[in-house]
Amino acid sequence: MMAFIKQQAPQEVSEDERTTARDFHGLSAELNSEHATARRWAVRDLVSFPQASEVLVARLKIEEDASVRTAILSSLAQLGDKTAMNGLVTCLRSDEASLRNEAIEVLKAIPDEVGPIINALLNDSDSDVRIFTINILESLRHEHVEQWLMSVIDNDDQVNVCATAVDLLSEVGSELSVQSLMNLKQRFANEPYICFSVDLALKRIQQGEH
Amino acid sequence: MTSITISEEDFSKFKEFFYRKTGMQFENSKRYFVDKRLIERIEATNSGSFRSYFVMLRFETTGEELQKLVNLMTVNETYFFREEYQFKCLVDSILPEIVRKKTDDSPIRIWSVPSSSGEEAYSIAIYLLEHWSGIDRWDVEIISSDIDTEIISQAKKGHYSPRSVQNLPDKILHKYFTYKNEGYQICRDLQQAVEFTRVNIMEPLEVRSYRNMDVIFCRNLLIYFDDVSRRYAAEMFFDAMKAGGFVCLGHSESMSRISSLFRVCKFPEAIVYQKPLESR
Amino acid sequence: MKTILVIDDAATVRMYHRHILESAGYSVDEAINGIEALEKALVKNYDLFIVDINMPKLDGYGFLRQLRSQDIEQAPAIMVSTESAKNDEILAYNAGANLYLIKPTKPDELLRYSRLLLGESI
Repeated sequence: MMAFIKQQAPQEVSEDERTTARDFHGLSAELNSEHATARRWAVRDLVSFPQASEVLVARLKIEEDASVRTAILSSLAQLGDKTAMNGLVTCLRSDEASLRNEAIEVLKAIPDEVGPIINALLNDSDSDVRIFTINILESLRHEHVEQWLMSVIDNDDQVNVCATAVDLLSEVGSELSVQSLMNLKQRFANEPYICFSVDLALKRIQQGEH
Repeated sequence: MTSITISEEDFSKFKEFFYRKTGMQFENSKRYFVDKRLIERIEATNSGSFRSYFVMLRFETTGEELQKLVNLMTVNETYFFREEYQFKCLVDSILPEIVRKKTDDSPIRIWSVPSSSGEEAYSIAIYLLEHWSGIDRWDVEIISSDIDTEIISQAKKGHYSPRSVQNLPDKILHKYFTYKNEGYQICRDLQQAVEFTRVNIMEPLEVRSYRNMDVIFCRNLLIYFDDVSRRYAAEMFFDAMKAGGFVCLGHSESMSRISSLFRVCKFPEAIVYQKPLESR
Repeated sequence: MKTILVIDDAATVRMYHRHILESAGYSVDEAINGIEALEKALVKNYDLFIVDINMPKLDGYGFLRQLRSQDIEQAPAIMVSTESAKNDEILAYNAGANLYLIKPTKPDELLRYSRLLLGESI
């Protein structure tokens, strides 16, 4: 009466049969497979090889499938060595919004690796890179977040970089930030958005005091 | 008596943070409900004030405290026909769409994770039998998995409390269950309709044999994961699915907090997420 | 009352735009990224979208492209972004934006262009 069945035989997996050897050379070669599934699995399996960052970064530059790119970014974050970090940071400079944003998400999750390069990124000559760096701070579990944000609003000339920092300070700001916030409001007194967001951040800090 | 208070600004700060992390939004009318639970956690963690609790919540590396809060703010109860609109969506929209695109006679595969004590997987089976004419034409495989072996054996047993079946219409209850030992025993046919397995969805080697799924029900699980685990679980699902397959999440969950791999898809009954047809 | 969906990952920006638009008598909904915006736009009819470009999960371009490919009534969209050397403006129009504004927006400017796209007298 019922058409419910249970699996008779193991599922056929046609494309990603990890048929090639799962050693470093086999996997590196698999990165060029014509099947996205095979490439994704190679990318994941490569995480167990400390020297894999270079081939992954190289693949990222030419990879067109979004799901494989996502996997590469995750693997690079797991590897977390210098090559991997450089590869991820390069994505912040990409013209492609989706790649930039995925890199930001991945970087948020690795505070120990990201911490040491934050200062350099916050001083990057490209204001977009500075904004994206603040986006990384948004979820970064690192004790210096507030200090970094204060240094941004004290020093950065670009209004949108400061605006992004204030947005985050309205969540993580403490009484330490009060003076910097007030100075910023003076500095951009004719920018309604800055005034609005500084007032909000100050209100939150002050009301939270009691 | 407690001296801890949550100011209005604290509340809006928390509301925003929680919304960003989980997608759940509290109306101001929920203020009392939220404050009460926040104060409970502030006390339990000896944080002393909202401020230091919030700093801990925001910066703790394990994400455990956030998970505890999500638990407190949601009702995680499982019973038959919970969030029934999604089963309606399954039979009225999702399956017709899948069948329309089908090019062979292979079985339709539905995966329900986590199985918990089995209510969801059995609800799907019942719904197909009662409300989907395609069941006479197509073979269907329902696989239901959990990480917890104890809960799996409970699911296989299929014995439920009156509370767990209280949403079922009498007709269905009598058709598929018998009253036994102060509860309801599900019939053998249904027991045999579902395959229960143990799997850790975060473990690629374990998930690898789960393939070619047409529909995945993953309700009220990912909301308890941290950002990285959520995204990873979504990648595992992506690989477990056929192109064009659908993912159904719980009613308070949204793919907007999980992954960008899937496309938002609107059916009259529900929003679900589709693995793009052109992807493999 | 006309309803506007404000899409931005920064909470303060959403509040700021809400404040401006509500003061002018519009009703405002919010979304944190492109996916949430699609979830909302597919179940409710909006009169206007105000869309940020850089957002996690699905950016403003992706949102507009997917929205414009849907078989639903289409509302106009204002894309807002930080000024930069990248060719955001062209990409915005290609994705289906009706107008491009540079952040941070000014209240009078935002209202003027919103009214314009909503077909109201300015």
